[in-house]
Amino acid sequence: MEQQTFYYDNKIVKLFAYATILWGVVGLLVGLIAALQLAFPIFNFNLSYVTFGRIRPIHTNAIIFAFVGNAIFTGAYYSIQRLLKARMFNDFLSKFNFWGWQFIIVSAAVTFALGYTTGKEYAELEWPIDLMVALVWVAFGVNMIGTIIKRREQHIYVAIWFYLASFLAVAILHVVNSIEIPVHFMKSYIVYAGVQDAVVQWWYGHNAVAFFLTTPYLGLMYYFLPKAANRPVYSYRLSIVHFWALIFIYMWAGPHHLLYQALPDWAQSLGVTFSVMLIAPSWGGMVNGLMTLRGAWDKVRDSAILKFMVVAVTGYGMSTFEGPLLSLKNVNALSHFTDWTIAHVHIGGLAWNGFLAFGMLYWLIPKLFRTKLYSDKQANIHFWLGTLGILFYAVPLYWAAFTQTLMWKEFTAEGILAYPNFMETVTQLIPMYITRVLGGTLYFTGAILMVYNLIKTIQSGSIEENEEAHAPALAETSKLRLAGETIHRWLERKPVQFTIWIAIAVIVGGAVEIIPMMMIKSNVPTIESVKPYTPLELEGRDIYVREGCYTCHSQMVRPFRSETERYGEYSKVGEFVYDHPYQWGSRRMGPDLARSGVVTGKMYKTDSWHFNHMLDPRKMVKNSMMPAYPWLIKDDLSTDYTAKKISVMQTLGVPYPEGYAEKAVDDLKKQAETIAAGLKANGIDVSPSKEIIALIAYIQRLGVDITKQAGEVKAETEEVVIDFTPLTDAESVTAGEAVYVKNCVACHGAAGNIDGTGLVGPALFDTIYIHGNTPNDVFKVTSEGVPAKGMQAWKHLLPKKELDQVVSFVLNYKK
Amino acid sequence: MEETQEKKITHNEDDKLMIDHSYDGIQELDNRPPPWIMWLFYITVIWSALYGGYYHWFWQEEVSPQESEYQAELLAATEKQEKLKASNPEKYSFDETKITLFSEAADLDAGKALYAAKGCVACHGNLGEGNAVGPNLTDEAWLNGNTPADVFKVIKHGNPAKGMMAYKDQMTNDEIQKLTSWILVSLKGSNPPNAKAPQGN
Repeated sequence: MEQQTFYYDNKIVKLFAYATILWGVVGLLVGLIAALQLAFPIFNFNLSYVTFGRIRPIHTNAIIFAFVGNAIFTGAYYSIQRLLKARMFNDFLSKFNFWGWQFIIVSAAVTFALGYTTGKEYAELEWPIDLMVALVWVAFGVNMIGTIIKRREQHIYVAIWFYLASFLAVAILHVVNSIEIPVHFMKSYIVYAGVQDAVVQWWYGHNAVAFFLTTPYLGLMYYFLPKAANRPVYSYRLSIVHFWALIFIYMWAGPHHLLYQALPDWAQSLGVTFSVMLIAPSWGGMVNGLMTLRGAWDKVRDSAILKFMVVAVTGYGMSTFEGPLLSLKNVNALSHFTDWTIAHVHIGGLAWNGFLAFGMLYWLIPKLFRTKLYSDKQANIHFWLGTLGILFYAVPLYWAAFTQTLMWKEFTAEGILAYPNFMETVTQLIPMYITRVLGGTLYFTGAILMVYNLIKTIQSGSIEENEEAHAPALAETSKLRLAGETIHRWLERKPVQFTIWIAIAVIVGGAVEIIPMMMIKSNVPTIESVKPYTPLELEGRDIYVREGCYTCHSQMVRPFRSETERYGEYSKVGEFVYDHPYQWGSRRMGPDLARSGVVTGKMYKTDSWHFNHMLDPRKMVKNSMMPAYPWLIKDDLSTDYTAKKISVMQTLGVPYPEGYAEKAVDDLKKQAETIAAGLKANGIDVSPSKEIIALIAYIQRLGVDITKQAGEVKAETEEVVIDFTPLTDAESVTAGEAVYVKNCVACHGAAGNIDGTGLVGPALFDTIYIHGNTPNDVFKVTSEGVPAKGMQAWKHLLPKKELDQVVSFVLNYKK
Repeated sequence: MEETQEKKITHNEDDKLMIDHSYDGIQELDNRPPPWIMWLFYITVIWSALYGGYYHWFWQEEVSPQESEYQAELLAATEKQEKLKASNPEKYSFDETKITLFSEAADLDAGKALYAAKGCVACHGNLGEGNAVGPNLTDEAWLNGNTPADVFKVIKHGNPAKGMMAYKDQMTNDEIQKLTSWILVSLKGSNPPNAKAPQGN
């Protein structure tokens, strides 16, 4: 048949390879900083841009989307062209894919450092960047599918199946998990609330692991491993079975991130069972990879490339066994919120993703530059440094996880928590965290060695940017199955049908879980006492999201005695219906905050405690590893978008009264003044306009609604009847003074004390009134009290006449 | 070039190369998937069906499996406590309204250690002098009463509205008694520097 001449685009492969190397180094370095921050809080530098809450998303996104993302594109652009015997479909799309992706990475790093985040793990990007991601990802897909259509190879190889599944699944996941309503250019609210948001988020989060860190990498493995070993793939039939089983089952497993949490039982059970069913399909990939090396193990001894690949595939096998294990509820009860999860993802990340990328680069760079690797010895040293790094990283973290979870759950013989002070369970981990830094440093050093080795290799060779290749044109074949052709073999030469089947396989799982969660009311039972956040609390919540508090604090008490004893009542589905986004968290570096506002609860701290704690955590909690947040005290809260935020929330179904947006800022200021006055009464002078006030308001709201009894809710909605009789005659005022001296001085100080020093309650004889200064306001607070702030309700303790007298005395004195 | 590469590919005699499967020189073998992995798959599918059946279709209790587990855990803890009390009623029956102060140095030192360990310093100062959050503990003024029982009570049950948390989940009665003793015997009247003005009476 007639040979056609065409040219492989090697330049785009080179660019992606360079980007992989660059972002790999950056991502590892940022990870190292994050590890240092957890061992030594001084590395937070008291600087907003680099506190742990912002560094962590930079690290995770840099590794997943920058390092691994570029590695995927490198391998895919190289192998797609060769497996399909065609140049990429469109050079512009290739370039757009490359430069667009790098632009996204830089924008991500900058916006995360500035605190622009949606507060959803691995999906933290704000909406304009989300749109860019969608655009660039679709460009990649079109480029790949275009190449498949103009291919010169009759059948598509298993690597291409995996690339196709990855493209489709990631596109769907990203779009569904990023449906947001913008407030302004860099702020949006996700349309889902509470448990619905959690289900969508972990359907996404889990499958970002599946279809970004796993399936494209299996594609890379199926190309580069047989190439590097020069061996045939062990079993074509195993490829078929494990491919379809894997992509179908993966999509169901997301709820295993939410076990024992506020999630309906049926969804939890799907998460458990589908995770367990994932073992064999995942191991299918490992078996096919390792068995391909049968008879080539002698090569593994000599070749650093194969060593990297073997450890990568083994690491994949270990993670995919550990994942289902962690999805069993009894194991998850121990592992969740501890470092076990962190260790687990790093076995996957450092071994599978890191080592496969390194092996691929050591094979690919000399190939592209038509030369030999500069130093095999250095590559071997890199391999051992990296392997030791993984061990020194993972072993201490497993140790830390067991230590902490056992400390959390231990009770004394008398039945109280053995380690009630959360800090004790963290201090214990510091030596492990220091060892982890050592592991990370070893791994990082190895990567630097690789950079040197590859630069030397590149310098010694030259690249053919457009490599000439020949292949016969694709022959016309029957649309129907040929005699003796299996259905799958037929499907492999029908890429459109193939893609449709992939789409069906990946859509089913998500649809079955997400649609009922949205449509069936019984999945989210409402709780009458749960009300929307006040404007100030909403702004405070946005600060909570901005600072990445969720990276260390959960808001999810699980139904275990060890948690309800420590934190309070366990979390219910109906509590989170106004939470856009949900903030349940996934790791407890600090204690759970779901009940932090419950005055009679176990977690309650006063406003002044929170103020001092944010300013200097170690002043309030010895050995705390929390960063300090001095800028919250310095910076003014912006209320420019408060009204807009309220109206966006209304669009999302949060029941603020009609027209409330216009009144929001006034209410916000009123509440802020109350909190600032309360702080002032405790000797803390801070303007009500500062960000810290909003954050305190939010923290003090957490868990409050659910703790209210049904009766209290009613009482609150009933109008309190204020029956104040102002008295001005001297006799009554003197009688009022006597009542005051007898009952009030203990907290409010003697009459005339206007600076309030040394007082528990606020000074009453100045002009600042926390609860309003009209006669009725003062009477109301005296008779009804404000228990949350320490003011008693005096209506049960004093006769009506004395109440009138004492209020009149205070008001008259003021004049 | 491709041909020479294909020639180099070695494979076991038993394996059958699939003749028309060659992608950029990568060939595939016609091996069956290892039976153990197929069995592993079938077993996990069966296990999953049993799991779903047990916890959903055949679940008889009124509450969910999760809630049922939680109730059982609480019940077991209560039973354990009751057994403990029954085993040594003298030790575990405790009258909170009649608190006697310890005077042994060892008990007072234990109280002092608790003061540091339980984070009292954060609000009441290193020397009990008080700070922006909590009151002075060294003077004669007390917000919640000054008898041993009063102090014991406010430590154990707290006064959350004023910011004093309850320590009943963090300390045993014996420990609280030691801490109370140290505060009233040693700390009170110690007259530290920077003391906060008296509050209460």
